[in-house]
Amino acid sequence: MKILEHNGGALTNCEVLDLLKSRGAGKDPTRVIASVSPSEFKVFDYLEQTPACNQTRDIIHKFVDECKKFDLAKAEILNVVNMRPSSAVEVYTIIEECDSRMEDKIDDFVEMILQVLPPHPSHAEPNEETGDGKEETLQ
Amino acid sequence: MFFLSEIEHTLRLPPHLLNRHLNEAIKGELDSLFLDKVIEKLGLCVNVYDIRSIDGGFIFPGDGASTYTVKFRLVMFRPFVGEVISARLKESTKDGLRLSLGFFDDIYVPVPLLASPNHSEPDPEHKNGIRWVWEYEGENYPIDGTDEIRFRVHNVSYPPVPLDQGKDLDEKELEQKDSKPFAPMVVTGSLDADGLGPISWWV
Repeated sequence: MKILEHNGGALTNCEVLDLLKSRGAGKDPTRVIASVSPSEFKVFDYLEQTPACNQTRDIIHKFVDECKKFDLAKAEILNVVNMRPSSAVEVYTIIEECDSRMEDKIDDFVEMILQVLPPHPSHAEPNEETGDGKEETLQ
Repeated sequence: MFFLSEIEHTLRLPPHLLNRHLNEAIKGELDSLFLDKVIEKLGLCVNVYDIRSIDGGFIFPGDGASTYTVKFRLVMFRPFVGEVISARLKESTKDGLRLSLGFFDDIYVPVPLLASPNHSEPDPEHKNGIRWVWEYEGENYPIDGTDEIRFRVHNVSYPPVPLDQGKDLDEKELEQKDSKPFAPMVVTGSLDADGLGPISWWV
C-alpha cells in the first residue's frame, strides 16, 4: 500500500453527511438494506447531531464569501462551519489571537454566522424569534 | 475533521467475486479492507470516496485470484491540532476524562488539561467513578454526562502496534493490559480555555 497524496483536501461535516446520504444512509430505518456499513452509520449518527445536518453547499459558499472580509485562515472557517458558534465566547476558542485580529468586528462576525448558517433544529435558540424570513427560505 | 487521502494499493480479488461487476467487487474488497481501520499518519478511514483507476488484473502463477493495482481516495477522520470538536463523555476517572464521538472513542483529556482550577469528588451516581468539578468565581460546575462537551485537539498520536507479549508477563501485568485494549490512534484534548467544556456552561 502506498500513500500517493496525504492530504487531498479538507471536507466539511456537511459534505461527508451528503456523501453518506447519497449512499442511502438516511433513508433506511432498518439499516440492513443500504450499502452502508455499521461503522459508517455511526459517523452518520454523529453528524446528524451537529449543525451540519441543516447545511447545504449554497449556504457554505455564501458563508465563505462573507468570511473574506474578516481575513480568516481556512482551518478557522472550517471550524466555524462545523461548529456553528452562536456567541462571541465560542468564537474566541476557534480563532487564534481573536482580540488583536478581530477587535470590534467580533459582533459583526457572530451576527453574520447567525444569519447565514442555520441553527441545529433541536437546539432551542432564542435567536429564532428574531429570526427572519431568510432562515426559513434557506430551510 | 475529515480529509481526503489518495492511496494506491495492490489488491488481490478472491475468485468467488469474479462473477460480479469489477467496480463493485473492488469497492467491496476495499470496504472490508480499509473501513474503520486506522492508517498511520492518515487517521481513521471512514468511507471510500471514489476509485480513480484500476490497473492490472494479472493472475500470478499458483494463485487462483487476480491482482489489481487500484488508486482510490478515502475519507479519513483526522482532527488537526487546534480544532474544536464536540463529543460526549464516556467515562471519568482519576486520570482525567475520556470522550467519545460514537465512531471514535479514544479521546482522552488528562488532568493537567482540564479546566483549572478544579477538584475531583467521588461520583454519587457511578460506583468507583470520579466526577470532576470546575471552580469559577466561587461557583462549582460539575462535568457530567448530560450534554455535549467541546474540547480542543491538543495532540494526535499513533502509538506503535505492540508486539506479541504473551510470554514473559506475570499475572498482574496481564490484568492491566487486558483492561485497556490497544488504541491505534489517540487524540488528546484540552478543556482549558473560554468556550470549552460542557455546552451548558457557556450558553
